[in-house]
Amino acid sequence: MLTYTRISVKNGLSTNTILFKRFAAISNQGVMEDEKDGEFRTLNLYKRKNAPVRKKFVKPTVAPPRSKQMAVDQDWGSVWPGPRSFHPATVPLPLHQGFVPKNMAPPGKFANAELMKIPNFLHLTPPTIKKQCEVLKKFCTPWPSGLENDEKIAQHFPIDIITSDYCHALPTIRNPLSRIVSMKMKLSTLNFDDHAKDKFLRLVGDRYNPETDEVTIVTDRCPLRKQNLDYAQYLITALFHESWIKEPWEDTKSEADMEVYIWSRNKSKTTSEAILNWGVSDGKKTPHVEYCQSVETLINEGENIQNLDKYKNEVVKLLNLQNATTA
Amino acid sequence: MLHKALVTPVLCPKVAPALFLSRQFHISPVCNKVQAARYKITPKRDRPLTYEMANPPHFIAHRKGWNSLNVSSLEGGIRPAETVTEDIFIRKFMIGTFHSLVCSEVIIKRQHNHIRIAVILRQGITARKMYFLIGYTEELLSYWLQCPVTLEIQTIADRKEVIFKYI
Repeated sequence: MLTYTRISVKNGLSTNTILFKRFAAISNQGVMEDEKDGEFRTLNLYKRKNAPVRKKFVKPTVAPPRSKQMAVDQDWGSVWPGPRSFHPATVPLPLHQGFVPKNMAPPGKFANAELMKIPNFLHLTPPTIKKQCEVLKKFCTPWPSGLENDEKIAQHFPIDIITSDYCHALPTIRNPLSRIVSMKMKLSTLNFDDHAKDKFLRLVGDRYNPETDEVTIVTDRCPLRKQNLDYAQYLITALFHESWIKEPWEDTKSEADMEVYIWSRNKSKTTSEAILNWGVSDGKKTPHVEYCQSVETLINEGENIQNLDKYKNEVVKLLNLQNATTA
Repeated sequence: MLHKALVTPVLCPKVAPALFLSRQFHISPVCNKVQAARYKITPKRDRPLTYEMANPPHFIAHRKGWNSLNVSSLEGGIRPAETVTEDIFIRKFMIGTFHSLVCSEVIIKRQHNHIRIAVILRQGITARKMYFLIGYTEELLSYWLQCPVTLEIQTIADRKEVIFKYI
């Protein structure tokens, strides 16, 4: 077996040189001791280079899910303080979500995108809400005295101004809908007389709700909220003063122009008063109020059984004919 | 006896020559085939599908949820088209930034003035790189979209974990 030791092979090898070196190596006793140790080097005739060994990628160990180390009595509010998408390693619940055929288990919570899609309320547990309310309490001021109920609030603040602010996750903070201003008030707070009320209702049209006695003015024609608010205030001021104005031609309104029957300015009044004051020289007897109302409802609402019955009863009462009703 | 002038038009109606010369267009029955987001079954039944892919779009709101949650697309919402474009941009940016790591759809939730992006990623890079990319994405997207952006990431060890079934 040929052995080559301590041969420094450089470029341009020749066979003679190798042989010479071989014999030289054999004669050297020290080299033989090295061979016993097994320190050999192969002769690299073709200069084959060893490819550099790439460091193998070792995947770093991933910690087990946090939910496995959670104490049973932990403070959940500090684990999940704010709104957040579902995370399976943080929520210690054995959840499943997904549609599967019968007799199969739905996909679990890990690697389940469906659970991440749906909004959750894990940050709104009752103890957390209570705790947050406790923290917010120190910023609260007592409710103003004198405004205990809705009636008192309506008395002190008769005008409601309703505007909307919008917040969206978009590059713009503008929303054209925030310019709209609606102003609400009770008609009774304006203290109109009959004529002014009638004129006001004609002017506002369907902005008046007779069920709640509320007038609502919505302004949205200006680009800014401030401008719309000013415009609404201008409108209500103009309407108020216009309603009190009485034109001279309004006095010429005859009975034929009336929209509703008013008992006090009709024949029924004079006739009933004449009957009551029969044979009395300076009698000032007037029919009772219910009679007037029954006549007005009978003519304004039309004839039906209720109105006719009421009218009959009031007439009987007016003429003191108690026996006739019992008969 | 009928007059000849009355009978003639009934027996041989006069047809304008233009009717024969005019070109007729070919009509075939309507094909209501829908194939968007529907996957064909392979012969070997080895096409992997996630839960999202396994349920075609008509199952949205029945078997699966929406990937974009915002109020722009509701009636009266503002900038619906721009919002959709931004969502597409966010998705492309996420997939390009976390290259070959995204294993699910990118879920974009817009809440108040806050955009939350949820996604399932593969643990293919070191945690340090992942943290860098998260901060990088949040910073750039919040600069472009002019509102705070939060990434809510779930990682999985292997891509196979999100596979729901093979068809």
